[in-house]
Amino acid sequence: MGLFTRERETAPCTVEVSHCFESLYAHVRFDNGAVVHPGDAVQVEGPPVMAPYGEVVRATRVATITRANALERLWTRMTGDFEVMELCEFSFSEEATL
Amino acid sequence: MNDQSPIDPKVSIAAHTADARTVEEGLAIQERQAVLDSESATAVAMQDTLLTPRFYTTDFDELDAIDVTPVRDDWDALIAEMEADPNRGHFRKTADWDHVDWAGMDPELKKEFIDFLISSCTAEFSGCVLYKEMKRRGNNRDITQLFQLMARDEARHAGFINDALREVGVAVNLGFLTQKKKYTYFRPKFIYYATYLSEKIGYARYITIFRHLEANPDRRFHPIFKWFEEWCNDEFRHGEAFALLMKTDPKLTAGVNEWWIKFFLTAVYSTMYVRDHQRPAFHAALGVDTDWYGQEVFRKTSELSKQIFPFTLDIDHPRWMKGLKQLQRASADMDRAQKRGGIGGFFGRVWAGTRATWAFARLYTIPAVRHSVPATTRLEPVY
Repeated sequence: MGLFTRERETAPCTVEVSHCFESLYAHVRFDNGAVVHPGDAVQVEGPPVMAPYGEVVRATRVATITRANALERLWTRMTGDFEVMELCEFSFSEEATL
Repeated sequence: MNDQSPIDPKVSIAAHTADARTVEEGLAIQERQAVLDSESATAVAMQDTLLTPRFYTTDFDELDAIDVTPVRDDWDALIAEMEADPNRGHFRKTADWDHVDWAGMDPELKKEFIDFLISSCTAEFSGCVLYKEMKRRGNNRDITQLFQLMARDEARHAGFINDALREVGVAVNLGFLTQKKKYTYFRPKFIYYATYLSEKIGYARYITIFRHLEANPDRRFHPIFKWFEEWCNDEFRHGEAFALLMKTDPKLTAGVNEWWIKFFLTAVYSTMYVRDHQRPAFHAALGVDTDWYGQEVFRKTSELSKQIFPFTLDIDHPRWMKGLKQLQRASADMDRAQKRGGIGGFFGRVWAGTRATWAFARLYTIPAVRHSVPATTRLEPVY
């Protein structure tokens, strides 16, 4: 990992989207065991994986992982906590007026 | 993270059409519908920008190191309860799901209610993503089992709300996964404090509305409120799990961490107050006074949080309601200044920001009310 330089790698991945009444979710799993660290960016290549209502769709894709450099990783670890309130749910969006 | 997910409910319009059988058909319908300039389309397009997908990592080694031995009995009982899945089959539409008069609904109320549905769906979805991630990355059997069960509940809630949204012609687009996503980082303890409070306050919010509508059924303008009781029991159980996690390490609720806890309590309560006051039509339709509702929810949440936090906020202190109102006014002024733009808008934002910070500091420095934390943590939902 460079101090200033970003490295890129690709990883095969499985995208699973459930668009059902019983369950609504979407996940990506890297099939080669790649692990994402703070500050890294991930892009799944190809067109959006769409699931029609009532179906679960699984697609094999390639993901590009752009690794954060050492400074970015440190920065993300130091500052990420400031955004932790995002984890809280308040029923409404933050927009003051709609 | 070897998992990413969704949020960006990039919302697009599809009038009950997502019954499309193929991806292409579904996409085509959405494209067609997207150009419809209906009232709801406008409302939803306005909300489109609110939902920003975020992706998180945390210290997974620290999570793996958790040892639930000190709370083993309570832990096993809670997991057994979740595995028994008392709410399986609950989230389906029954005859109780009565007709909603969307066309006759006041446009302001409709906008606010759709905002409620989309935000709630997004929140459930985000919870699902976060919990699933923790499940995937963890190696500690107790922890991964818990997060798997919680992810199940959140995905189920999201599906149920999604269905209510489809009824009004709003489709949540799950095609966002191909966007580029940057992963931010939270320390595990911050995740505990924030999600514990979020789950418990969620319970208190839902049960307060549910009980209010039991007494005032004529105010129930949508059938989804009838499902709030069982729904919030899921939230309650999730909160219990985080309480037990915190109980495994006494340092999490002592020393400097008490200041963090007080920060989260103040931030969560005051954010809720401000957000609720931004949705007057919703609360008027329910027949709920927003100040009363806020205090009622804070009271319940504080009572519950005594199970693990060594103090509660003094919400009856004279500075409390005054501070909340100041914060609310500063927040509204901030919004106006942002919309105005230009140099006047800039100074308006600085001034509003200063007042908001001051109001928050005044709230944060109200002396807390201390109590002794019970030896056993587990609670039952009794409200």
